[in-house]
Amino acid sequence: MTEYTGNPLLWVALVALVAAAVLISRQRRAARELRRQVRGLKDHYTELENDYGKSVRAAQERAEDETKTVLKSAMRTLQGLAAEQQLVLSRLQAKYGDSALLQDLLEIDHTNSQFGRRAQSIAVLCDGWLGGRRDTASVYDVVRSAQGRIRHFRRIDILSQVDFGITSRAVEPVALALAELLDNATSYSSPDTVVEINLRTVPKGICVVVDDAGVGMSDEERVRADRLLATERASGVAGLGNPPQFGFAVIGLLCERFGFEVSVDSSSPYGGVRAVVLLPHELLTAMPEKKTPAPVTHSAARPVRDGGPEAAPVSARTDDGLPRRRRKRPMAIVPGNEPTPRPAGRSDSEQAQVMGAFQRGTRSGRDTDPEGTDRTRRTPGASSEGHEVS
Amino acid sequence: MTGRDGWEAETPELVRPYVITKGRGLPDEDHLSLITLVTASAEDTRRPLRLSPEEQSLLDLCSAGYLSVAEIAGHTHLPLGVVRILLASLMEGGHLMTRPPVARARLADKEILEEVLNGLRAKFG
Repeated sequence: MTEYTGNPLLWVALVALVAAAVLISRQRRAARELRRQVRGLKDHYTELENDYGKSVRAAQERAEDETKTVLKSAMRTLQGLAAEQQLVLSRLQAKYGDSALLQDLLEIDHTNSQFGRRAQSIAVLCDGWLGGRRDTASVYDVVRSAQGRIRHFRRIDILSQVDFGITSRAVEPVALALAELLDNATSYSSPDTVVEINLRTVPKGICVVVDDAGVGMSDEERVRADRLLATERASGVAGLGNPPQFGFAVIGLLCERFGFEVSVDSSSPYGGVRAVVLLPHELLTAMPEKKTPAPVTHSAARPVRDGGPEAAPVSARTDDGLPRRRRKRPMAIVPGNEPTPRPAGRSDSEQAQVMGAFQRGTRSGRDTDPEGTDRTRRTPGASSEGHEVS
Repeated sequence: MTGRDGWEAETPELVRPYVITKGRGLPDEDHLSLITLVTASAEDTRRPLRLSPEEQSLLDLCSAGYLSVAEIAGHTHLPLGVVRILLASLMEGGHLMTRPPVARARLADKEILEEVLNGLRAKFG
């Protein structure tokens, strides 16, 4: 044993062992420390990364919101101007209705409508104002309104009509969504084909079926369309691509906001896309009443009660509505040589009285000349009626 | 959307005239002038289903007898040219027929008019 203890090698080995142990423990501690540091750094890093992502997203959202706000107000101005111009054009069309100028006015009107629709689409994407209608409109008229907002409106053929109206609130959104569908349908089919629209009553409401004879959609396009129409709503104008594709993004948003459905997942019998717009009962009303034309003439014909000779033919037109035009028939065709059943033919007894008084007056003025009576009475009647009505 | 701001005092027509005419051009001036007389053709009793409401109402208007183009336009809210386009297309479809304007009536005999005037004076004043 003692020789072992005297052995310096042993001591050296012992010292080395102790030193090694100390070294190892210190290393371990250092390693632990390092590991802790690394963990801390990692945490810090992820935190930073998250913060960065968050702030980037926030910045993006802010930028998007700002873009939206700017676009929204800009579009609102443009929409207002388009609507104003449409009114001006309506007035011009009424004013120059009988001149060759009308053709050009109609074309400007068409361009203006397309312009207004573009502004509306962008406004919808930016959660903006769509423009409103005060009156309900028939489904057929809403479809035609949509038809008027696209470039190739002549290629649209509406094959059926239904006896339903659309509530005033839904008129513009449905028209705009349909216009986007029709724009797609006409843009992706050859220029000599017709895009057909069928209106069908179904248990859930009314379907507007749009069939084009184009090439259909590729799988990629179909996926994009489904995504925009059903699951994921577009927001803002980012991500529309270049050139931007507004159609489905706008339609998807309108569907969500106003509660109708659009699907494009079937193909049309002509090989293209079949798009179906389902208008639920909440958006439908009874057929709106037709506007009664020209109530002005009616009121203008009122103040004729004194029975003066000139007033007589005018007073024959005081009943309202169009059916009264029936009476004009003999007057318009044969203005001279007809026997005299007219005073009796006037339905109203009061009118007959007036006419009778007039006739007696003319008779007493001249001894006997029934033909002259006819002519003098009828001619002013015919001309004044024509003027009053128009 | 009622009650929201942004209502225009006057809203434009929903269906624009060029859609009503389906983009057709104006007919010849001498073909359908202001005083051409139009009526529904007698043999066309079946009412075609594919007509627009405007065309329907024009047919209704004309079914009662001869009316001049100017009168028909007066009864509708549409510009005159639009009415002429619609009438032309209805004629093409065989739903309407025209008749040249009636020859101007002979001028009334001046003597008769004078007699009437005298009679009126004797009677009323």
